[in-house]
Amino acid sequence: MEFPTETPASLYGLELGIPLGDRRVLIADDSRFNRRTLARFLQWIGIVQVAFATNGQELLDQVESFDPDLLLIDANLPPIDGMALCRVLRGNPRWRDLPILMQSTRQTDQIRSLCFQAGATDLLAKPINPGECVARVRYHLERRSMVQELRAFRERVERDLRQARSMQLALVPDAEWLEAMASRNALRIEPVFQTSDEVGGDFWTTFEIDGGHVGVFVADLSGHGIASAINAFRLHTLLTRTPPDDLRDPARLLTQLNQRLADILTVGQFATAFYGVIDRHTDSLRYAAAGAPNPLLGSRGGFRVLDASGMLLGAFADAEYENRSTPFHPGDTLFLYSDGLTEARDRDDAMLGEEGLADLIEQAVLTAPEHPFPWLMARFAERFGAGLYDDLTALWIARDATS
Amino acid sequence: MDFTVTDAHDSTEIRLHGRMTFSDHDTFRSVIAAFERPAGHRMVFDLSGLDFVDSSGLGMFIIARDTAQKKKLDFAMRGARDEVQRLITLAKLHKVFTIDA
Repeated sequence: MEFPTETPASLYGLELGIPLGDRRVLIADDSRFNRRTLARFLQWIGIVQVAFATNGQELLDQVESFDPDLLLIDANLPPIDGMALCRVLRGNPRWRDLPILMQSTRQTDQIRSLCFQAGATDLLAKPINPGECVARVRYHLERRSMVQELRAFRERVERDLRQARSMQLALVPDAEWLEAMASRNALRIEPVFQTSDEVGGDFWTTFEIDGGHVGVFVADLSGHGIASAINAFRLHTLLTRTPPDDLRDPARLLTQLNQRLADILTVGQFATAFYGVIDRHTDSLRYAAAGAPNPLLGSRGGFRVLDASGMLLGAFADAEYENRSTPFHPGDTLFLYSDGLTEARDRDDAMLGEEGLADLIEQAVLTAPEHPFPWLMARFAERFGAGLYDDLTALWIARDATS
Repeated sequence: MDFTVTDAHDSTEIRLHGRMTFSDHDTFRSVIAAFERPAGHRMVFDLSGLDFVDSSGLGMFIIARDTAQKKKLDFAMRGARDEVQRLITLAKLHKVFTIDA
């Protein structure tokens, strides 16, 4: 049976379409004839930027000034041999991943192994086979190009993600404003807001609606990465356009946001959300929720779980939301958080879980009654580490005992 | 997450196993590929082998329901337990999904 011999390859190996015209090759050989021969081979594949060295010292000088992409070196270069030069170059971080092709007349396996140990990337047998030489040079240059391209791409993405993270961190209330607003309303609000390395969809904010009413909004846009971060920004925009009057009624706000988000989100995207309004005059918390993690409310009798069930925000256009009310007296505490807290995984791959969180809060209040929240988050960081897979929001909101 | 597809005459059962999270989006695409059935066909997710879903997993349920609606298929879920049941209740998905006993 005969196979069609369609050659995607050129004469000298696979053609990847990476131009080599801007690549620089340094040839180190004490024979003028060899230097010229090698340079001619390189021209065949379009490499024209070639520099030469005739001994070890020249090589070290040239490598600095010429900054080659590849080094062709004779193993018997005077006065120090190629292997020793290899070791010198590899000792410098700048040349650690420079492709070094070493030519040698001695071809025992032991010698070849020693060349690789010294840091040679590849070996060429002398006398040189032109076709093999050129194919290997091109392979190593192309590989280097791809690695450099990948590295540059990765650096760009990381830079973009860092920028996106700092923008996401800037969405939440400014610390100074928050402290002043909280104290005006006889509250203490301690926030922890951390984004994962990949950015995510957590978002929270708070509103001073009028004297005596403070709204707190916590949301987590589904998914991870840029898409959910963009959706968090969309939700933030919708909220900033909401007239203050519409912030008084949690269920009505969620119903409105749901309709607007349902219009712009794609199927399967949504937010879990909690919105509560603290009323100092009636000592109550009125809230509506959209499948958010159940908050904890602490009073003199200890902490209890609030029901934050509700239709996911933005998933179903006709979803309706209901208001719930619970007493919220001076000295009481409201603890809100995103699933990044309860679904974080420790070294044994175990999650904290809702019950684990309730236990931890109880311990925090007993062990560090003055500063339960920092204690709680310190224990969390000990067990789950600081690098997060998901965003994390945690808000400890306490009413002053004397207000 | 893993899944198995079992076909009967006019219905298809898809059993989901393990943990269904953000990282299962590609696997879930293969699950959705099994929705290539004639109109009126019944698709059932059996969740009894599922230990955990996160909010991305809930999103996948919603995509499955939407796909079924577009292809005029019946779609139901059953057998959710523990954490999975808790999350379905929290998100009130039982209000919009057909849940078989």
